[in-house]
Amino acid sequence: MIAVLALLAGVVLGIYLDPTVPAALQPYLPIAVVAALDAVFGGVRAKLDRIFDDKQFVVSFISNVLVAGLIVYLGDQLGVGGQLSTGVVVVLGVRIFGNVAAIRRHLFRA
Amino acid sequence: MSAPEPGQRPGRVYAPDFLTELFRNPLDPGYADAAARRERSPAPQGWRGTSARAVAVVVLAAVGFLFAVAYRETVADEPSRSQARAGLVAQIQQREAETDQLSVRADRLREEVGRQRDAALSGSQAARLRNLEAGTGLGRVRGDGVVVRLTDAAPKDEDAVTGDSEVGPDKVLYSDLQKVANDLWASGAEAVAINGQRLTATSTIRSAGAAILVDFRPVTSPYEVTAIGPGPMRDRFEESRSAYLMRRVAKIAGLSFQVRDAEDLTLPAATEPRLRYAEPSVSPSPSPSGSGADRSSSPGPTGSGTSSRPSGGVR
Repeated sequence: MIAVLALLAGVVLGIYLDPTVPAALQPYLPIAVVAALDAVFGGVRAKLDRIFDDKQFVVSFISNVLVAGLIVYLGDQLGVGGQLSTGVVVVLGVRIFGNVAAIRRHLFRA
Repeated sequence: MSAPEPGQRPGRVYAPDFLTELFRNPLDPGYADAAARRERSPAPQGWRGTSARAVAVVVLAAVGFLFAVAYRETVADEPSRSQARAGLVAQIQQREAETDQLSVRADRLREEVGRQRDAALSGSQAARLRNLEAGTGLGRVRGDGVVVRLTDAAPKDEDAVTGDSEVGPDKVLYSDLQKVANDLWASGAEAVAINGQRLTATSTIRSAGAAILVDFRPVTSPYEVTAIGPGPMRDRFEESRSAYLMRRVAKIAGLSFQVRDAEDLTLPAATEPRLRYAEPSVSPSPSPSGSGADRSSSPGPTGSGTSSRPSGGVR
């Protein structure tokens, strides 16, 4: 419950403050969102599996976002452009999908 | 990654590769490890437990913040993209209007030049010059002739999957216009225009993407190829290869192809050709039979001087 409230508070804060993202960080934004989604769904699934751990969640979120950003940066520097971030999106997407499927099994038993 | 699952048969333990592991167990193995650790030793209570919880809440707020920011960013990007597009379209239209204005002005000036020249020249010379201009497409002409009308077929139902409506040869191609124009010339036409664009000896009919360009100006369906020429021109054109081809194409593909006689057509003058390599080597006063003679006595531009054609005919 607190988690949902915190999430909503963050959304409201983001809308209310309306920060401008510096142009240098803009390419990392979508990938950071995907990484954050992965962390959130992982956390929800862990909660439903009754193995949720605060520290694990925090660390997974931060490392996900950092590693994803690093890979995008590396891709930029190596000149492979979007391909490396495609890899990130695929891996995180698969994980999100698997976790959502697990959440679905928990909620609907199907 | 984590150790092989206990359900596996002993002796045949392969370390699962990364993707297999990813598909089989998408949850961060850290959660299971943490749970196992908690089994062994009770969860930290008091200050440590609360601070971990607080940090998690802060991180969740950060995630929400991130979502909101990313959403706003994406939404904010959209209008700028369509704005850029609209701006480009407006620029194109503005430039086209400017070009039209300038060419109208050029036409007016050219007419004035022609009038002045007529006044300066003797009657027969002026008449000859006018004839040459008319013949080469630099002067407005009127007369009887034919109008060939080509229209794209009605658009077919779009492909429901790809949204592609450009399947099949249901459009007039630039080569059709080329063939029709060429056969009109061959049938004796003295002046040809496509959608009001007069053709000269250097005119181009080309395709650029989906558009057809006549002298670098886009023309669209319906295409009207207007030609002024002698009476039997229509019959000759009707028997020509392109007319035969277009009738066949029209029957098969659903284009429309019509030829009709027209009286008192007026074809505009073509725009002045831009000379890139040749330079006019004649004096402003065109002499009928070659300018080589009076070139020496006139301060004309110093070109190669090999052209012996009158100024009206220099292309």
